Amino acid sequence: MMSRTVYVCCGTGCLANNSMDVYKQLKKLAQKYEADVEVKTIVKATGCNGLCEKGPLVKIQPDNICYSKVKPDDAEEIVKRTLMNGEIIDRLLIYDTALKRRVISHKDTDFYKCQMKIALRNIGEIDPANIDEYMERGGYKALRKALFQMTPQDVISEIERSGLRGRGGGGFPTGVKWRQCSKFQNFPKYVICNGDEGDPGAFMDRSIMEGDPNTVIEGMTICAYSINSNRGFIYIRDEYSLALNNMNNALNQARERGLLGKNILNSGFDFDIEIVRGGGAFVCGESTALMQSIEGNVGEPRAKYIRSVEKGLWGQPTVLNNVETWANIPEIIMKGSDWFCSIGTENSKGTKVFSLVGKVKNTGLVEIPMGTTLRELVYKIGGGIIGDKKFKAVQTGGPSGGCIAEDLLDLPVDFDSLKEAGSMMGSGGIIVMDERTCMIDVARYYLSFLSEESCGKCVACREGIKRMLEILTDICDGKGIEEDLELLESLCHTVEEASLCGLGKTAPNPVLTTLKHFRNEYYAHIIEKRCPAGVCPELTAYEIDKKLCKSCGLCAKNCPASAILGKRGEAYSINTQLCIKCGNCIDSCRFNAVKVKKEVGK
Amino acid sequence: MKIIIDNIECEAQKDETLLQIARRNDIHIPTLCHNDALPGLGSCRLCVVEIVDKGRRSVVASCIYPVRNEIEVYTCSDKIKNIRRNLLMLLRGRVPNDETIKKLCKEYLVPDRIKFSGDKDEHCILCGLCVKACQELGASAISTVNRGITKKVTTPYDEPSAQCIGCGSCAYVCPTDAIKIEEKDGIRNIWNKEFQLLRCTRCGKPFATKEQLEYNREKLGEAHVKLLCESCKKAIIAEKLKDIYEKV
Ligand SMILES: Cc1cc2nc3c(=O)[nH]c(=O)nc-3n(C[C@H](O)[C@H](O)[C@H](O)COP(=O)(O)O)c2cc1C
Ligand code: SF4
Ligand code: SF4
Ligand code: SF4
Repeated sequence: MMSRTVYVCCGTGCLANNSMDVYKQLKKLAQKYEADVEVKTIVKATGCNGLCEKGPLVKIQPDNICYSKVKPDDAEEIVKRTLMNGEIIDRLLIYDTALKRRVISHKDTDFYKCQMKIALRNIGEIDPANIDEYMERGGYKALRKALFQMTPQDVISEIERSGLRGRGGGGFPTGVKWRQCSKFQNFPKYVICNGDEGDPGAFMDRSIMEGDPNTVIEGMTICAYSINSNRGFIYIRDEYSLALNNMNNALNQARERGLLGKNILNSGFDFDIEIVRGGGAFVCGESTALMQSIEGNVGEPRAKYIRSVEKGLWGQPTVLNNVETWANIPEIIMKGSDWFCSIGTENSKGTKVFSLVGKVKNTGLVEIPMGTTLRELVYKIGGGIIGDKKFKAVQTGGPSGGCIAEDLLDLPVDFDSLKEAGSMMGSGGIIVMDERTCMIDVARYYLSFLSEESCGKCVACREGIKRMLEILTDICDGKGIEEDLELLESLCHTVEEASLCGLGKTAPNPVLTTLKHFRNEYYAHIIEKRCPAGVCPELTAYEIDKKLCKSCGLCAKNCPASAILGKRGEAYSINTQLCIKCGNCIDSCRFNAVKVKKEVGK
Repeated sequence: MKIIIDNIECEAQKDETLLQIARRNDIHIPTLCHNDALPGLGSCRLCVVEIVDKGRRSVVASCIYPVRNEIEVYTCSDKIKNIRRNLLMLLRGRVPNDETIKKLCKEYLVPDRIKFSGDKDEHCILCGLCVKACQELGASAISTVNRGITKKVTTPYDEPSAQCIGCGSCAYVCPTDAIKIEEKDGIRNIWNKEFQLLRCTRCGKPFATKEQLEYNREKLGEAHVKLLCESCKKAIIAEKLKDIYEKV
């Protein structure tokens, strides 16, 4: 009888979908049936698999079968049919929208095939609670190699040559940062992992800390060795309870194995790491604010005219990198900079993890080589737009990123090309928007987030964002005037130039990019007083195209205001007096009969 | 080392701020949140200037920018003027009736046409000087709370603070006179707390709070701090000097 291993994804996304119950049920039933049939089953809790919305995911090895949306009630069938008999349960397989059929392994889907896993290499493959599994897959070999076969300078040179750039937003070359810090002979020095992940749409850092905490620890220890630091901090936001838990557990196991603490692996090198819990403000992810926060002060940024590599935490030389950046380090040390350089584009090497969300069929975490086009991301990996609506824009870079229009869909995604398009890599959030999205409403949404999350210290950012938000709100409410655009642009430049930290400096991006790529939509709101996407209530009216209406009545069923009237056999119609402009009718009509009116009678 | 500010060559020490160097050379740069005794806030942004460092142009806040290379500085380029104008327009929106800001708006030709609406009674521009002053003197009675557009300066829970000694340092450093001090019948009211004022033993003028003197006594370790107001202290010293000179 074949011995099988069952992996139940217990990332936060899957946990929210009851994966713990599935796990318990599988374990219980496997034990129950073990007596009469010889099936050996190990059930593991594994970190995030990426296909979040299809969770909970259950993988069965060595058959390489992947089931999605598994419920506790399915456990019995899985144990009896698949685990004991190797049968595949068709209805639990993932439906691949691109291939238009069910696939046996998640690895057969385009979603997976276009990906390349470096930072996420172990996620979903190992039990994060067990350091041995990390080590079985080559974990801590890189640390050994660094400590016993490389000088600190060798390590830095290798990272420098790899061309690795920071994954937390700025894209600063990691090796250069380490080199600069190594030159200051002012001790103690500190190593920090930025696990704040303030972008509400991103969750790659959480997934790494939950699913593969040891790679972060190993990466940080290698850096500490190269710059001669003995103390590190991992800053994790308080809501990330599973990440906190798994990281803490991993730190303890690493200490037990002599991989952390005094005299690591008998090399004579000491390094230990503490976890610091962050309060969860977006601005605390900014490096200098984060250091303030670790020091116990209010998390407000300081000017970076003198860099943290010289004067960082408690005024001492400090290297701070993002979680995903750390996760790349052990692989680069093990496989070499030449290997890493062979992936990606001219100035952006390696891969980047994105959290793909919005109006695409497949959402979740994806790790792709730098230089993959937005088109591949949206249509191949993402499987295209939901409901086969028209694509409108992708928003990249988190709250202060930018919106990119259809004409740039063939843009290869890397640090420089995104910047050129007016957006940025940022945290790696990618939100796909369809034709039912109003770009001014989008800009307003982000500015409203930033107006609350700005630390409020400097005038440009605090007051500038507030006023830009007011102007955008006016435009959405139909109160915009033509001069507003000039004022908006002028304010954008002031906020960009005069703000103290990166939050303010990038805050105008949502406005600038929508002004650049969707200017006509601004004109439509201001001059024609209509919202082409049919989103802004004051500037929207819907109508039903009598020729297209099949009088199915679905729109009327979905209208919360009972504003749609009609009879079978006759076209339906909308009572504009009652309509609250929610847009449910448009979204529910299967014949595209509900339209946004070209003119809004006022 | 030498740097060039608005085409004038200026001598500079490593890590001196641009503002320090400019002021020493009589080059005017406007500021609101800067106070020589409490430097480093960098919050009002009015002091921005353009620098060219190794061919790279950027905008920096001169009050906190430490000089390390032989750079060129432009304190009133068109770009800088534009930024200052917008910053003042934003400040005017926050404190529409504040005289300090109104005056600056005139000076920097902020157009009257664009008016952001704001609270007519507000005077605080959230520069942070008062908080810093109170912190430096050791009381830490006030702080900024909240973030973003809801940020404000206040005492803990908006209640009279046990730490406040009523010294008025906060009000003294405030660039827009936003902190109210009321004095009536020997009582000072600041941050919603009442303080009894002590009279100067020489001129009889009420000049300091009891808490303030006690605090000084404790902090300076002086068993007897004389109850003298600043002008009387000066007058006494002057008299002593006069005595000495007369004797000589
Ligand atoms: C407002 C703001 C928020 C930020 N939030 C994060 C964050 O949540 N996580 C992160 O790693 N970096 C964040 N950054 C970037 C950090 O300041 C810093 O550049 C980065 O962590 C450095 O690591 P890296 O070089 O490995 O990317 C933020 C920056 C700004 C301006
Ligand atoms: S730019 Fe915004 S977030 Fe940054 S220091 Fe200024 S007010 Fe705070
Ligand atoms: S009056 Fe009170 S709040 Fe103001 S500086 Fe003095 S102690 Fe601080
Ligand atoms: S009260 Fe005055 S000193 Fe204090 S923050 Fe406001 S403007 Fe600045």
